[in-house]
Amino acid sequence: MDDLNPRRGWGRLAVLAVVALLVGWSFAGTDVGPASLIQGREGALQLLSGLFPPDLDGDLLSRVLAATVETLQMSVAALVLGVLIGLPLALLMAGNVQAPAGVAMAARTVATLLRSVHELLWALLFVATVGLGPAAGVYAIALHSAGVLAKLCSEQLEAVDRGPVEAMRITGGSRTSTALLGILPQARANLASQVLYQWECNIRSSVVIGFVGAGGIGQALGIALHLFRYQELATLVASVVVLVIGVDRISKVFRSRMGAASGRTSDRRSRPHRSLLEGSPR
Amino acid sequence: MLHSAAEIVVSDVSVILGGRTVLADVTLKVEAGERLALLGPSGAGKTTLLRTIVGAVAPTSGRVSVDEADPFGPRREITRLRRTIGCVRQRDDLVPGLSARANILAGIAHRWSPADWVTIACGRVPRRFVPRLLDLAALHDITPLLPQRVEHLSGGERQRVALARALFGEPRLILADECTSGLDPVRAAVALRHLRASGSTVVATTHDLNVAGRCDRVVALRDGRIVYDGPPPATEEVERIYGTAGREDMVTGRWTI
Repeated sequence: MDDLNPRRGWGRLAVLAVVALLVGWSFAGTDVGPASLIQGREGALQLLSGLFPPDLDGDLLSRVLAATVETLQMSVAALVLGVLIGLPLALLMAGNVQAPAGVAMAARTVATLLRSVHELLWALLFVATVGLGPAAGVYAIALHSAGVLAKLCSEQLEAVDRGPVEAMRITGGSRTSTALLGILPQARANLASQVLYQWECNIRSSVVIGFVGAGGIGQALGIALHLFRYQELATLVASVVVLVIGVDRISKVFRSRMGAASGRTSDRRSRPHRSLLEGSPR
Repeated sequence: MLHSAAEIVVSDVSVILGGRTVLADVTLKVEAGERLALLGPSGAGKTTLLRTIVGAVAPTSGRVSVDEADPFGPRREITRLRRTIGCVRQRDDLVPGLSARANILAGIAHRWSPADWVTIACGRVPRRFVPRLLDLAALHDITPLLPQRVEHLSGGERQRVALARALFGEPRLILADECTSGLDPVRAAVALRHLRASGSTVVATTHDLNVAGRCDRVVALRDGRIVYDGPPPATEEVERIYGTAGREDMVTGRWTI
């Protein structure tokens, strides 16, 4: 019936016009467009030609390899710390765990605080306190990812089937045993998937925060860029691409395997939360 | 194997949910060790009555007590009371992701020592629980299923695991909501026999007259009111309770509504 309403058509046109104006305004305000690209073509050509051929000097390659390994180590160390902080926070935050209101509130505040400060800012803080190097990077990523994991994992915990949880509660299960035996096992696969995804994010973050001196391949990238060593830069960028793709692949294999083990074979009707994850890659 | 049983007193309980009267002035006393069947059409308030007894639905008016304890009293009292109750519900409510035996043991998690937590987390069963677990598993024909994850079991298998879980802690009171609905007639009869033999007070909702017939007493609800209270009723009486004629299942020979 709405489709026959001519006013609705005009309304749509008006919305479209407003959106178009907003988009045009944003592009104009930020100088995005062919002009800026044409203007920057000289610099781009210079940079691109500088990148080739990538520097494959043995000494450099061994340094790049060391930096890549350091980045990997940073991501894993940060993940472990992030999980150790984030998962307990998630348990305290999840509504169905029924932690005392004050504790849940405190956990939520801490998680929000950790999450809302960007890794880059945490990295600047830690570089200033513990000095340049990978340790600062690990602390920075760990804190931010703990906040992110706390939020995402608490959502996974809250999405579990309520029936088994209530069944434990009405037969006298304590809050702790209900959380550990009724809620965690149901969310286990989804939590693991979330943690693996966070590992992918950590790899990307550790590359970026290296720019502010927090170690790893990013630090080497930043130095090469500042000293205009573009051939070295090319090698480093290539190694970043390889690293990110490799980690993504490994993580994806694990995640899909867990999805198959926990979701497909079970009764989907009684576990509606599964379908939330099955549809999307995340 | 007999152990003590609970006594339930429900006095003048009314429950109004979302403006609808689900229970109206229900008064009922269940003696210790009595086996009571709750009969009545869908929506009559049977499940709500069970939920009220266990403290999951608060009565709008009236009072419930189990062994003179108030299921809506202080948290500590509620927990102590609930630990004496075994539940089998319409949906089996086992925890997916855990094995059948872990599910059964989880029913008495409050009796686990820290060492038990470690043992069970390693996928083994603490020695002191083994005899009871094996006994119950044999009774309910679930021994080969014990190490399996419950999401890989069929509906009837899950229901038997849920029964074993409810019985494992030797509860003083067993609340069973349609606990035989997913079982074949032979296994349903076995399950009932064990519920009877447990010595616990049993309150079981059912539509199955075979189940009702094996209980000491039948209480029928209709529109939230008690319309029958006495020995297992005759067919005509049941038809009056349900307001419809029953029929005999051609396969199982069970008489259902």
